[in-house]
Amino acid sequence: MAKAYLPPKQTGIGQFVDSIFLIVLVYGCLMLPLLFNFGGGESAAEAPAEKTEITWQSLQQNEVMQAQWEKLGYSPEEAAELINARFDYSIEPISLGVTALVILGYFLFVLKYSEKEYRDVIAERFGRTQK
Amino acid sequence: MSTAATAESGKDRLFLLKVLGPIHVWALGVGIVLVGEYMGWNFSVAKGGALGSLIACWVIGLLYTCVAMIDSEVTSTVAAAGGQYTQAKHIIGPLMAFNVGLYLVMAYTMLEAADALIVGDLLTQLAEESGVTDFNAQAFVVLTIAILAFMNYRGVLMTLSVNFLITAVAFIAIIVMFFGISPWNEGVTIFHGDLLTGLPYGWIGVVAALQFGMWYYLGIEGTCQAAEEVRSAGRSIPLGTMCGMITLLIAASLTWFMASGLLPWEYLGQAMVPLYDTARMTGSPMLQTLLFVGTLFAAVASANGCINDASRAWFSMGRDRYMPTWFGAVHPRYRTPFRSIVFLIPIAVSFAFTGLLDQVITFSILSGLLGYTFMSINVIKFRRKWPLGVIDRGYVHPFHPLPALMLLTLCTATYFATYLGYGPQLLSIMVFYIIASIWFALHRYKYVARGDQFTMTWPRPAGY
Amino acid sequence: MSIWTIASYAAWAISALLLGWMLFDLIRVGAVYGEDFLMSAREGEDELLQEAEEEEGGRK
Repeated sequence: MAKAYLPPKQTGIGQFVDSIFLIVLVYGCLMLPLLFNFGGGESAAEAPAEKTEITWQSLQQNEVMQAQWEKLGYSPEEAAELINARFDYSIEPISLGVTALVILGYFLFVLKYSEKEYRDVIAERFGRTQK
Repeated sequence: MSTAATAESGKDRLFLLKVLGPIHVWALGVGIVLVGEYMGWNFSVAKGGALGSLIACWVIGLLYTCVAMIDSEVTSTVAAAGGQYTQAKHIIGPLMAFNVGLYLVMAYTMLEAADALIVGDLLTQLAEESGVTDFNAQAFVVLTIAILAFMNYRGVLMTLSVNFLITAVAFIAIIVMFFGISPWNEGVTIFHGDLLTGLPYGWIGVVAALQFGMWYYLGIEGTCQAAEEVRSAGRSIPLGTMCGMITLLIAASLTWFMASGLLPWEYLGQAMVPLYDTARMTGSPMLQTLLFVGTLFAAVASANGCINDASRAWFSMGRDRYMPTWFGAVHPRYRTPFRSIVFLIPIAVSFAFTGLLDQVITFSILSGLLGYTFMSINVIKFRRKWPLGVIDRGYVHPFHPLPALMLLTLCTATYFATYLGYGPQLLSIMVFYIIASIWFALHRYKYVARGDQFTMTWPRPAGY
Repeated sequence: MSIWTIASYAAWAISALLLGWMLFDLIRVGAVYGEDFLMSAREGEDELLQEAEEEEGGRK
């Protein structure tokens, strides 16, 4: 049987610092997209800067839709904003590639490193020689 | 719970109380999720149209059915608090386990913050309707978290019994409303024929909708956090989880059906409280009140379950010294992981008040998604290291490895969906987990005892 | 003062009370019981303990 690994005892201050570290890290990463002023998920409204008067017909709403909008308290002008808002689903190959690589790389790293640590755990728990 | 004091003599060991049954498991799982039917799922309508959302609802339902089956099998053998964290520790290895533990704590604590904010929003709405304009909901957000944490602190049985009650009310509210609308009168009380349009973005919109389609079910896997506190976990957890999944599939389909039949999709896609709005459209004050109460209860039940789950995960990590060992303490009287519960209160409150709700929710969903990706890898390794028959399984999921592969495929599609809407957030969240992993590998892991972490009475894994 | 303002003050007060109690109890428990006892919960071991007790026909 291999000699068991004896972990050092952590001081109270060390425990405190470790807890704080993670919290700071979380906040840092929550702020990250804001720092770079990325606006993920924003809908690109194709502003209907039209001169024509907005009516339910011009918004292509049938009678039932129109009735429901009115029941919700919307005028055609107010509803137009929602109806004309559209997401932008354009795909940039580079950023998609980077994202895919980061996720894949992360999992490969975690799995590989875990495997190494896991062998130690099994060796200590069940003994190294037995197979 | 007076018998809890029997172990106070000092030489006995403390352990979490085994007092829960299948209905508590159901309440924990469904309780966390059901708020997703009241709000949040409808953003998938904006992403892909009403029909796109329905497709997403069922595709993601398939993903979660895989999750529930896989999870049930593994948990029925790993009866320990910490759920997937403990599974990862025994099946894949320490660094993965650390990451999974973080997924759980982050996903649940952040969801808890969002739930508490919903309670605040609902009360603000109520105040505005009664003519008050300068109402500040902060006190009630804090109060919600404080009451729930207090209940969690004082014992798990009470906590989850209350959760069962309020979850049941919220679920019944959806059913009652469905019959209240009398959905068999197409064209009279419900208007799918006129309101449903084609796919506004085509099929890419359907893929994009997958991200918010997760709201229909996000959190059902939380059931296995209770494993250490459930009587005969090997049977109760699969039973509670599967019943929960069926409940959610019903609730999700009904919710979609009602909302899409009464609201134009462009409105539905951005509504804050879609089910409540649907109730407003019926013009029935009874249904409106019912749905208001339902929304409130669903949010409270969700926050409650999240406190329970996040603290179990944090506690388990503390117990193994993955996190400071101070958190691994059990209350000698109430038998709860009391220090973890208290520690997570200010964190949840701060998440609620940062004004970063969008980021917080995305972080929560993505942590969940990373967890599902882990599960598919986990179950394949599990079957390989301990083939059927080597250890006792309370439940064996069928068609292995099909569910695992399907889960992995759907996860990939959902990552892509997230990229479409929230690319930068996705990357910044990955940065968090990468830095945390390096920190664990280089610094934190030295405090962890090696062989002692493997606590199951399983034989040596095949191939090691 | 409207009923909502009063309710909001009450909410702060109750929150403070609950949080204060938890903090107090947390510190009290830490002072009364030894750390080793509080940390004595072991994963997977509770099951064995309970089974052993049941075999003795023992207490609940």
